[in-house]
Amino acid sequence: MADEIAIGIDLGTSYSCVSILENGKPGVIPNEWGERTHASVVSFLDDGTVLVGNSAKRNIITNADNTVYSAKRLIGRFYFSDEVKKAQAVMPYKIVEGENNSVRIQIRDAVFSLPEISALVLKEMKAIVENYLGHEVKKAVVTVPAYFNDNQRQATKDAGRIAGLEVLRILNEPTAAALAYGFGKDITQRIAVYDLGGGTFDISVLEIGKDVFEVLSTAGDTYLGGDDFDDRIMTWLAEDFLKRTGIDLRLNKYCLQMLKEAAERAKIDVGRDGIAKVKIEGICQDPTGKVMDLEATLQEAEFNKMTMDLVQRTFKVCDEALQSARMTASDLDAVILVGGPTRLPIIRTSVKHYFQKDVMTGIDPDEVVAMGASIQANSLLDAKGEHYLLDVTPLTLRVGTVGGYTDKIIDKNTPIPIERSKSYTTNRDGQEKVKIRVYQGESNKAAECELLGEFEFSGFRIAYRGEVRIEVTFEIDTNGIVNVTATDVETGQKTTCTIRLSSGLTEEMIKAAQAKNAATTLARGAEAA
Amino acid sequence: MALAQIMDELDYFQILKVGQGATPNEIKAAYYRESRMYHPDRFHTMGGGELKDALSRIYKRINEAYVCLRDDVRRNKYVADVNGPERAKKLRFVEASEQELKKDKEQEVGTTPQGRKFFMAGLTDQAAQRFAAAERNFKMALTYEPGNVNYKAKAAEVAKLVKSSDGLK
Repeated sequence: MADEIAIGIDLGTSYSCVSILENGKPGVIPNEWGERTHASVVSFLDDGTVLVGNSAKRNIITNADNTVYSAKRLIGRFYFSDEVKKAQAVMPYKIVEGENNSVRIQIRDAVFSLPEISALVLKEMKAIVENYLGHEVKKAVVTVPAYFNDNQRQATKDAGRIAGLEVLRILNEPTAAALAYGFGKDITQRIAVYDLGGGTFDISVLEIGKDVFEVLSTAGDTYLGGDDFDDRIMTWLAEDFLKRTGIDLRLNKYCLQMLKEAAERAKIDVGRDGIAKVKIEGICQDPTGKVMDLEATLQEAEFNKMTMDLVQRTFKVCDEALQSARMTASDLDAVILVGGPTRLPIIRTSVKHYFQKDVMTGIDPDEVVAMGASIQANSLLDAKGEHYLLDVTPLTLRVGTVGGYTDKIIDKNTPIPIERSKSYTTNRDGQEKVKIRVYQGESNKAAECELLGEFEFSGFRIAYRGEVRIEVTFEIDTNGIVNVTATDVETGQKTTCTIRLSSGLTEEMIKAAQAKNAATTLARGAEAA
Repeated sequence: MALAQIMDELDYFQILKVGQGATPNEIKAAYYRESRMYHPDRFHTMGGGELKDALSRIYKRINEAYVCLRDDVRRNKYVADVNGPERAKKLRFVEASEQELKKDKEQEVGTTPQGRKFFMAGLTDQAAQRFAAAERNFKMALTYEPGNVNYKAKAAEVAKLVKSSDGLK
């Protein structure tokens, strides 16, 4: 089918980007205004209109309560997690608890799950390509941070389905970047991909050849990104203002948004020009009602001082990845930088210093991931087998044991797909069910790992205790998603398995969300202007 | 299909089609070769069904084989396993669980504080070639843990050394 096309989508914390393969070359598709990256922001207007992208971002201040940004920081997380608590303190939109410890966003009277919000961003990406091509697209590869756990991957996949896309693959962002870098080059190299995005940090070490891209190790921090650099500038601005005026701007969510916007701009300016002048007119009023402005000048040295510890944190993660790959920095042939914040001179010089080599130039850190995704999308479509991605699972898969401990099932950095079986027996006479808790993480204590879900098996023979042997198979598929099945060893009967992913969406919920998404019209083109 | 059926009777070297003496580079090359053949991306457009399932099972086993054979520690243990009497049972490498490892370690150095103390002292003596002292310490350790195989083995080992060093004098 000549018309069949699959798109590559980089669904970022702050910005998203979409690409397709045309005439054998990946290209980023701009929207109607020529914008190549799009803010991952969804704004719900009073008249029912929904805006996505850079036009929605402009509403963060004017329509703060009804504009959702950085949804990726919350996707696949539990309501009780620290990240959600932190977001509740700073986000102007309302974060509420859904069933089974899930996170929901409340916009006026409507409640949205995180995959539904992300689905609106994906719908916009889909629309950009459809507008460009003039026909519908149905298939996509969507990227995620390599360090995303199963819950986060599953939720991202759900988002794609809700947006009416068949998700061919959930692809790791650094792997996508490496693919875009090595595609069609016929080189044999060992490379590191240093990917600092808006909200997450990943490092992957790969060995790339003509047609095989092998990930040797990956490590990351899903709580570290460009947003944290903005936060530092915000704190600096707010504290300076507090000292001079006695007013704490952070107490007001409206002021906080203005600060955040100014901080992001200051970060970009200081990275580009070495100095940033910040001016927010009319940020607040003093007790007498006088309107006040905020003015400040940020020097590069000052900025570097306040963010150095964040940069150092990324190198701790790099140490870990190199160690897992059994390499030192000197074994690498090249280092690729991915993500907007890697444009900052402090990152570039530190990376150069850490890896003892110049970073690759000529790679656009904002677009390379989407381009890699489109290459992979195309490759899955025609299945010609021109290249193979040999990726790994970033986290150790574990099962809960007695006393709040866990036992390893599949090690981190194991190539996927992979499976491993484990035998269980019943421990009561007439037992009808076996419950298994599955975790991901690097600690043997359950409390320090992420719970993926509780799997309950029933339908096997009822017998005396210890008589029934159940073989449970844990599989991690090519998307990095965990599947669990169980078999009664003696009868060979596959037992039914109820998966209760504590915060996941059920099949019915996805169906309902699909209908809701399809019924939502995004204001595009002239409407959105 | 045929391969998927007999897969459970093959060891990892046979899965990757290499000899037991293969170098790390040969193992990697074999892994790449088999990946080109069985990687699921090649069969992505295949609708599903038994053949696709079989191919997927084969590739998962290829990954499993590679994980084991690329690591020297695992590979050595695996080679010993598949060349041993229980080959049929040990074709798939099973990592000792963390608890088992802890148990092994305890078995090695002892489960009682006194036993451990004398055992460690014995090891120090042995390293310093004070075999008679080492023998006394291992025997003391054994009085605390008479069932510890490792203590017994050590005691027997140094007892031999004591004899041979006597002979030299």
